[in-house]
Parts: sequence; structure tokens; C-alpha cells
Amino acid sequence: MVIDSQPRQALVRRVTGLARSTPGRLSLIVVVLVMASLASGWLTTWSVNRQQQALEDLATRSEPLAHAAQEVYRALQDADATAASAFLSGGLEPPQLRQRYEADIAQAQAALSVATASSPDLTATLAAQLPVYTGLIETARTNNRQGFPVGAAYLREASGLMRTQLLPSAQELYRAETDRVARAQDEASFPWGSVTVALAFVVALVLTQVYLTRKTNRLLNIGLLVATAAAVVSLLWATTVSVLVMRDVAASRSASEKVDVLAQARIATLTARGEETLTLVARGAGQTYEKNFVAVSERLEGLLDRAKQQENSEAVDHAMRHFRQWQQVHQRIREADDAGQYNDAVALIDNPYFDSLDQDLVRAIGKARQDFSDEVAVARAALAGTVVGVLVLAVISAVGSTMGLWQRLKEYR
Amino acid sequence: MRRLTLAAVLLLGACSAGPAPSEVVPRNAAAPQPADASTVTVAPSSSAGPAPSCDATASLRPGPLPPAGQMPAGSTMERVLKRGRLIAGVDQNSYLMGFRNSFTGEIEGFDVDVARQIAKAIFGDEKKVQFKVVTAAERIPVLQHGDVDVVVRTMTITCQRLADVDFSQVYYQAGQRVLVRRNSGITGVDSLKDKKVCVATGSTSLGNVVGRAKTTVSVPNWTDCLVMLQQGQTDAISTDDTILAGLAAQDPYTEVVGARFTEEPYGVGIPKGQEDLVRFVNGVLERMRGDGTWSGIYWRWLNRLGPAPAPPVARYRD
Repeated sequence: MVIDSQPRQALVRRVTGLARSTPGRLSLIVVVLVMASLASGWLTTWSVNRQQQALEDLATRSEPLAHAAQEVYRALQDADATAASAFLSGGLEPPQLRQRYEADIAQAQAALSVATASSPDLTATLAAQLPVYTGLIETARTNNRQGFPVGAAYLREASGLMRTQLLPSAQELYRAETDRVARAQDEASFPWGSVTVALAFVVALVLTQVYLTRKTNRLLNIGLLVATAAAVVSLLWATTVSVLVMRDVAASRSASEKVDVLAQARIATLTARGEETLTLVARGAGQTYEKNFVAVSERLEGLLDRAKQQENSEAVDHAMRHFRQWQQVHQRIREADDAGQYNDAVALIDNPYFDSLDQDLVRAIGKARQDFSDEVAVARAALAGTVVGVLVLAVISAVGSTMGLWQRLKEYR
Repeated sequence: MRRLTLAAVLLLGACSAGPAPSEVVPRNAAAPQPADASTVTVAPSSSAGPAPSCDATASLRPGPLPPAGQMPAGSTMERVLKRGRLIAGVDQNSYLMGFRNSFTGEIEGFDVDVARQIAKAIFGDEKKVQFKVVTAAERIPVLQHGDVDVVVRTMTITCQRLADVDFSQVYYQAGQRVLVRRNSGITGVDSLKDKKVCVATGSTSLGNVVGRAKTTVSVPNWTDCLVMLQQGQTDAISTDDTILAGLAAQDPYTEVVGARFTEEPYGVGIPKGQEDLVRFVNGVLERMRGDGTWSGIYWRWLNRLGPAPAPPVARYRD
């Protein structure tokens, strides 16, 4: 301890000795100011960098992943509804339904492979069970082609697998990815720390100026003036950019909320369609499906209302109109089926409103995603150049304060 | 010098083991099961209690059949006539008895033809019938709620069920047997002791087999049982020979084994208290027996069970 404390005491003595004389004090101030300027510059650069990183993550990773997760869910849901419709049609399945099913499975696989890279755990069930699902569907088809009712049992088993395992996993994946988007948006928060340090540095420069004026009776020190100006510009620049970024991130947040509401609406649309079809497949034993249809339709209506409140766009208006038309046709389907006109009911289900509603939602989602992408791009553009600018200004501050104080120090030689 | 270094490295390497090479561990590949499949350990409560004793198969004697389209005023048949269609609860999953023809989308089968004969007797048109698909477990509830006029769905007449619904006379005499994979070594119901067997929820077959097999699993439809048999999730299916014949027809790798170990007299289920409809349906069944319609329907659907037996003999309690 004794040996160890010796040099430290010596250092403290030297520094306090320096601080007692004016030139010593000035030298100390130079050291402190240079260090503070570089520290403040580094801190600002770091926080700007972090924001940039967060925005880049948002634009190139989180949002595309959230979209991929949503596509997994949508494609799976649509595949299941399409498989049920193909069964309903009687005879050989219509080629366009088969194509739609195949496109859905391909789309689900593609979206799944995108999502797997980031969440291998969450996609494990999907990856393991999707081939099982398609296998069951093909078995159902083979039996159907031979006229065996066991085909319908395979279809029910496949649909059960979809509802109890695949769709819940896809839902979980979607939630995880949207949470990730929200976290990335939180990362790009206002950098209070670095702005405070930059402000403290400006105050330190002003205090030094005041001290020098009092000591030397000279009003202004050019070097310090330049240093102060650079620090103030740096502070204003970083603050302005941060405020701009905050505004854009907030805008992107509302855009991603829009996407979320619309995506949920789309999923509800497909779910309702599946229930509507299964009610007819069950042929009189479909009360549960009909109950589900009513519940999902109510939720869908609520989601469309919310989408309208968020943005009164043309696509959403169209979607609401097509939703109402679809509900009217559904009413007629139920009436026909309940009145024993089963074939009329099956004929009615082939109406354009469901597809139109889906297309409207696709357009609305596309627009909301573009809004999101635009906002993030603006924010990223605002940040561009800030790092270099802040660093150059920090160096100017350091050099300016050194030179300003050096002049005064020379007078003491 | 280099050799020395190499030796040192080797020596060190021998002491510090690297991590084990990574393995890819697959997610447990649980085989899918039919929705709502459940294991049954005790017979359903309805058949657990002492069965009320009665003469189950004795029904009400029919009067002369009114001509089609002219039903007695105030009768149940007149109500159906005014509605314009008969509502019949049937199955769409039992091949040969009641199933959906996947080419036409229409429901067909032995039971369905019986229902059509009833419609023909009321309207003079066998197409004036709306089919409502019901599962085995739903048969009694739909009759009690009045959702259907009749249930023609491989429904065994039992004293238990007679407490809740009425039945026509016997229109088919079935019996329970066992369906297994070919060469499985199972020879009948007695070799099920260490096996898993599948039955439909709410069927009489369930009560007959619980306790005679090691495990009993129940599913909503008989075709769900065939799925489980094909996927190796059950060893056998046990129910009426009519239904088993339909399942065996869909899979040449299966066979029906053992002798009938129960008697399953099928009747048309009718809501409790509609005696006029019971007598009317019995009249229709008598006519079908007399004019050869019954044998025609048998030949159309069930000829793979063997040559047409004599139709069941009607028994009435008046």
C-alpha cells in the first residue's frame, strides 16, 4: 500500500501545485477542454450511429421479417380455405383452386425460409408440420378421386393440424416479429445523454471565456470563440437531426400500426372465408363454423373501422363496401342452405366479393408499407453526414480551445 | 525446435478437449390425429346404468298408407307436406350407408334411399328431401330439438334410446364385428385384449367394446377411424358389419374378421310422441318389403355383404 500510494500522492501534489498558478491552471483547462470536446464528439457520434443502426435494422430486417411472418400466416390460412373449397366443388377440383392452393404453399414455404434465419425456434413447428399437412391434403385428394369418403376425413385431419398447430405457430411468429419492429423503433429514441454532454461542453467553453476575460481583461478570445461556435453548431445539428428522426420514427410507428391492423383484417377475412366454406362442407352439422364466421366477421368489421380511422383511404373504403356485399351474400347462402337449397348455396359461395375485399386489403397494406419505408428513408437521410459533421466540429472545438488558450499561456513565458 | 513446439501443442491439445460437434435435433414429429380424438376408459354413462328392459324392436302397427300428396289433416306428415320437403338426418361419411358421392357432391347410400322412400310416400317425389348431416352423437339431440323430421343413420334401436326418441320397425338387421389390417393376427373381438380399438363417439358400438380392448379411442366419424387405422394409430375398428363393409371397400389392405357379437337392429329415428309419423314410416317400410324395393336397395349398396337376406320381419306392439 505504502509503495503504491507514493506516486499517486506525488501526482495529486503536482496537479494541485499546477492549479495554484495561473499558467498551470490554464494548461489544466486546455487538457480538460480538449478531452471534453473529443468526448462530447465521440458520444454524439456514437448515439447518431446507434440511431442509424436502428433505422437500418428497421428498414432491412425487422419490417421485412414481420411482413414475411404475416405472409406465412396468410398463405397457410388461404391454403386451408382453398383446400376445403376444392373439396366442396364436387367432381374433380377446379384447376384454378388447385393452382391457388399450390401458390399458397409455395408462398408459405418462401416466407417461412425468410423468417427461419431470424427465429429458428419459432419456425421449428412450422417447418416440421407443413410437409405433414401437405401430405394429408394429397392423401385426401387421392381418396377423393377414387370416390372414397375417407378423403373428407383426411381433409378434416389436415385442417385440424392447421388450426391447432400451424396457425398458432405462425401467429406467435408474427407477434415476435412485430415486437421486434417496435423494439427497433424504441432504439431510435431521443439521445438525451449525448445532447446533455454537448450542452455541458458549450457551458464549459462559455465559463472558460468568462474566466479568461476576468484574468486578462481582454474581451474576446478568437480561438475559444471558434471552439464555442463549433460546439453550438454541433449541438444544434445533433438536436435538430434527432428531433427530425424522432418525428419520422413516430410516423413509421403509426404506419406499422396501420400495417398491423390491415394485416389482421386480411387474416380475419381469410378465416371467415374458411369458416363459411366449412359450414357448407359440414352440410347441416356446421353450426360451430357458422358461429365462428359471425364472430370473425364482427372482428373484421371492427378492424376495418379502425383502419378507416387511421387513414381514410380509397382502398379501405372499397374494402368496407366489399365486406358489406359479402355479408349480404353470406346471408343469402345461409337462407338457401337452411331452406334445403344446398346446391344454390354452394353456387352462391362462388361470388367475387371475398376476392375483391382481399385485393383491397392487399393494396392498403402495400401503401401502408410504402409509407413506412418512406418515413424510415427520410430519417436515414437526415442522419447521413451527421457523424462526419459532428466529428469535424469536435476537432475544430478541440483545436480552437487549444489555440485560444495557447496564446494566453505564451504571455506567461 | 519445431518438432518440440509441435509436441508441446499436441500435448496441450490432448489435455483440452474441444466442444462436441454440433448435432441437428429435429422437432419431435408428433403424428397428426383426427380432430377431437379422445381415449375412452369407461363406457359412456348412458349405457353404464342398468338398461331399462323393454321389447325394443316392437313398433306401432301401420294403417293403410294415404296416397302421396294427400296427408291426413293435422298430421305430422301434413306439416312436412306443407313445408315442401322432408328433413332427414343422415351421414355423409359412411360409405355405402350414407356418404357424399365426391363426383356429384350428392349424398347417397342405403340409409339415404330409405329416407328418399319416405319422401316419395309423402310427396310422390323422392327428391323432396333435405339432408342434414349429423354425427353419431348428434342423432338424439337433433330429434329432440326438432331440427329434423327423421334420422336414418345406422341407428340401433335400444331401450335406452327409446326413452328419448321413437323408432320405426327394424329396417335392417346389422351386427357388430371387427375390421383390421390384413394378416394382423387379430381374429375377432376376443383377440383385442392387448390392442387399441377405434369407435365413433355416441355409437352403441362404443359401449360394446370398451373393456374388451386394452385402449379405446373415440372419434366423431367412422372414416376418422379408418384414417387412424391407415396411419397406424389404432389396431382395429369395431362396429356394425354394414359400416365396416363400407370402410373395407375403401382400403383393400383391410379385412373384416370374427363373427357378429351383437345384434344391431336399425330403425328410423323419429321425435318422441309423433306416433302418426311412426305408423306412416312403418307403412312405407312394409310396402318396401312387399314390392321388392328393399331388396333393390340392398343389391344396390350392400351386395358385398353377401346375397340379399330376407328383410327383417316386422314386429308390432300395436
